[in-house]
This record gives sequence, structure tokens and C-alpha cells, in this order.
Amino acid sequence: MTAGAPAIRLDHLVKRYGRIGAVDDVSLEVEAGEIFGFLGLNGAGKTTTIRMLLDLVRPTAGRAEVFGHDCRESGRAVRADVGYLPSELGFYGDMTGEATLDLLGRLARRPVDPDRRRALLDRLQLSTRDLGRRVREYSTGMRRKLGLVQAFQADPPLLILDEPTDGLDPLMQDAVYALLADVRQRGRTVFMSSHVLPEVERVCDRIGLLRRGRLVLVSPVADVRRMSARRVTIAFAEPVPAPSGAWPDGCEAIAIAPRAWTLQVSGPLGSVMARIAGLPIADVDVHEPRLEDVLRRYYRDEDES
Amino acid sequence: MSAPAAFVLWRHSLRRIRATLVGLALLLAAFQFLLTQVAAYLVRHSAFGELSLLMPDFVRSIAGPSIVAFMSFTGVVALGYFHPMVIAAVVALAIAIGSEPAAEVESRFVDLTLARDLTRGAVVARTAGVLVAADGFVLALMSLGTTAGLACCAPAEIPAPGARVIASLAISLGSVMICWGGVTMAIASITRRRAVAGASVGVAALAAFLLDYLGRAWDPARSISVVSPFHYFEPTALIMGGSLNTADVAVLVGIGVAGAALAWAIFARRDI
Repeated sequence: MTAGAPAIRLDHLVKRYGRIGAVDDVSLEVEAGEIFGFLGLNGAGKTTTIRMLLDLVRPTAGRAEVFGHDCRESGRAVRADVGYLPSELGFYGDMTGEATLDLLGRLARRPVDPDRRRALLDRLQLSTRDLGRRVREYSTGMRRKLGLVQAFQADPPLLILDEPTDGLDPLMQDAVYALLADVRQRGRTVFMSSHVLPEVERVCDRIGLLRRGRLVLVSPVADVRRMSARRVTIAFAEPVPAPSGAWPDGCEAIAIAPRAWTLQVSGPLGSVMARIAGLPIADVDVHEPRLEDVLRRYYRDEDES
Repeated sequence: MSAPAAFVLWRHSLRRIRATLVGLALLLAAFQFLLTQVAAYLVRHSAFGELSLLMPDFVRSIAGPSIVAFMSFTGVVALGYFHPMVIAAVVALAIAIGSEPAAEVESRFVDLTLARDLTRGAVVARTAGVLVAADGFVLALMSLGTTAGLACCAPAEIPAPGARVIASLAISLGSVMICWGGVTMAIASITRRRAVAGASVGVAALAAFLLDYLGRAWDPARSISVVSPFHYFEPTALIMGGSLNTADVAVLVGIGVAGAALAWAIFARRDI
């Protein structure tokens, strides 16, 4: 690990399969200690990028670094610092959960603390009895939990998680979010891909959005939310006449009724408040935009293009 | 760290095939043991002469002097080391072992192992190690079966094949297994599916076996048959009292080693 180096650095990373571009000139830095959400539709290039970080796939051009080490030239040093949860878990069905964790633990450079593993299993509700069963008998959710334990058990400084809550029930999803909050508190970095936008909004500090292999957005989650207009509903104590004249900049009327106006407001609310001053206001409801609202717009644009 | 990690993988792979490996080795060892009983029975009933007389002339001419070697106590005892079904079994085992890298890519298990502090070379080295260990184990048990059978039941009046002959036969068959294991590794390092690797090498091995058979029986095919690895597998010469041809063994093992080296180079460069 190189002191001061970002946890992940992608520098003009390109991956082509023949004439098809999977990842196109992606540059990105993820700081140590943050949770970064890597988003995009199916086939956008998320998993290919992740696999280049792990040197499972070789870039056509550009480079990827983890803690200052080149993922290609110093692959082993990189992977020694990484815990990886693949989206498709290739466990051997005839091995027990315990044998699987033991094997993967022995292959890691970092020793696995049995107490830590036990704590992880408890949090994810995998019992000793469950671990004694063959993986082929596991449900999808149990396999995902086993995948999470194998990724977290050596307590690596960087966790690369491809769809970490895929197949988990809501309670287990909460357990994973709590786990992610814990590892961040201890200074670990998480780089995760996800399709679940409320999940990303809840756990990630920043996001990067891939569209057809290109990184089209990198931003803190809070800033992304601000990119979308807020919806403001003003309820009146008595009927008021329809507004006349132009609305202030960044403000647009969505629905106007005698006892309620619904507006879409980008930027500060001051000018709107000034406009409605003097009216018999009963209530003002400001609906903050969600990450999902913004990203759906990006996704729709991609779909249409 | 690579060596211990490769060792962990090696142990894991051996554990996964232990039932098949032990089962096959015990079966072949038992077959070898029983062949000594068959040979002893034929000697006691003076049946070798009768068997030889029953042989049609054209078969005798195609098979050449090797048929004489086969129609002997040593020939029957050694049958397991060159019987086509036994050869098919050890080649199948070599294919099963050598195709493990493709199986791990196909199942995505390799994503979990290679995401750790492990070189790709360790995955290939593990497979080579498993191949050598399985080869040694199967042939050691076969030799043990032969030796035990001879020790308990060989007729005193007939000279039994010595330890050198048995070891030479085992080395000869073992080098065939190493050869096809190495070839499988090379193919498995390119493909993403075990079935593709296994089927390709299986068909190639059958073609090579048939080509060698034609080469031995039919003069026009003799020159082409040198490309078949089975051309370098001459157990009948050993039964007839010849010594192990180290050049033949070197060719077979050389093909295996070249296959493993190719697998190493390809697997290190490919996208997983």
C-alpha cells in the first residue's frame, strides 16, 4: 500500500472485445475510506471494470491502480489488499459452507481472525448448522451471505462488491448496510456496483455512472440529488386566484388549483417564498429529489439514444 | 506466498477427485491381481499352446511377434498395462484432471481464487501437480496389484516378470497419461468450458490411437503414425524382454511438459 495514494485510480481505462467496446476511456479516483457506488445499466461495463481491477481481465489501454499499485504489474500485491464479492458466485456445490470459507481463507495472504468470521456469520445469520451443509443446498440468499463472509473475513482495506445485496431479503439488506457502515468507520474502502438505487443513496458517499462503457457522472450522492428539481406543494387555507405573470427563474408550475399549487423548483426556494408571501398559506411541503429520480433520467436518455 | 497457495489448491483438487482416483486405482490394481490368477490358471492347464493354435493365421501375421509375447504368462500378467480399456481409463482420468482450469473458469470458481494473492501460474502448476500425483498413485497401485498377485500365486515352474519389467510397464503407461494430461491442460487453458476441452482431447486421443493401430498393421500408414503419441508406447517390447525405451518415454513426457508449459503461458495472458 502506497501512503497517500487513492484506494482506486483508473486512468483512461479501455477494454475492447474485437470491435465492441466494453469500457471506454474511464478515468476515476476513489479515496481511501469512502464508499463508492458504481452504477449503470446491464452491459454498461461495471463488471468488466471491476474484473480489470482484479487483473481477471486485461485492459486494452490505460491503467488501473489500487493503493498505488498497478493492477496488471503488481496484481498479487493489489489482490492481497482486496476482498471481492463477484456477482456470480462459483462455489462448489458439493463443498460445505465451512470448507468453502476455510479454503478461501487459506488462499488469502491476510490471516482470517476466527472471532471476526464468527461475528460476520452471526450478523448475516449463517449458523454453524448452515455452514455444515453443502452449498448446493443453500438458497440464493444464503449463497450471497457466504459470498459476503468470504469477502469480508480477512478484513481487507478495500472491498470490491458486485451487487452485494442481490437476492437478500430486506432485513438482510439492512444487515449488509450496517456492515458497510462499520467497515467505513474503520477506514476501509468499499467499491460497489448495484442496481438498487435507494441502496446506493443510503450507503454510498459518491457515485460513478457508466453508460455504454463511458463514465458520464462522478459526484457525491448529495450533489446528484441537488441536480434534480424539488417538488414544492403549497396548500392554502382558503381558495386563492390562479397566479398571474412569470414565475421566477428555476421555478415552474406543475399543477395549479384554488387551494393548492404544485411547483417544481431548482435552486434556492427564496424567490418562490417571496412570490407567495401574503397568501393564506396552510402548509408547504418540499419533496426532496431522490437519487433514483436523477439516475432514471440518465437511464432513460440511454435507452432512448 | 504462491507456493503455499498452490499447495492449498493442489490439496483441494486432490480431495475433490479422491473418490474417483482411489476407485479407479483400486479397480485397476484388482484387475492386475486377478490377471496373475488368470495367467497362473492358464499355465496350470497348459492353455497357452491351445490359445496360440486357435489364433487365425492372418491375425498372427498382423500382430507379429507381439502376439507370441502376449500368449505367455508374462503377457497375460502385463495385459492391464496396455489393454485398450485401461489405456482409455487412464487417458480419461488425465483429461478430467487436465481440464480443471477450464472447469474453474466455467463455474466461476476461479474468480474467487484469482481474486486473492495467487498467480495464474499457481492454478496451472496445481493441475500439473495433481496430474503427476494421480499418475503416480494409479500406477503404484497397479504395480502393487501385479506384485501381490505374483507373490501369492505365480507358478514356481514359470519365470515371473521381474520388478524391472513391471516398473517399466508402469512408467510406459504413466508417460501416456502425462502426455494426454499435458495436451488437455493446453486446450483447457484456451477454452471456457470443460466439456469442450474434454471432448476435443478425447477425440484427438481416439484418433491418435486408431492412427497408431493402422500404422502397426498397415505399411502405408506406418510413416504417418509417428505423429501419434501412441507410436511411442511399446509395452509389447518390454514383455518380449526388451528394456524401457527412454527416448519413447522422453517423447511422451516431453509432449506433456510442453502442453503444461503452453497452458502456463496461455493462462497467464488470457482474460478470465
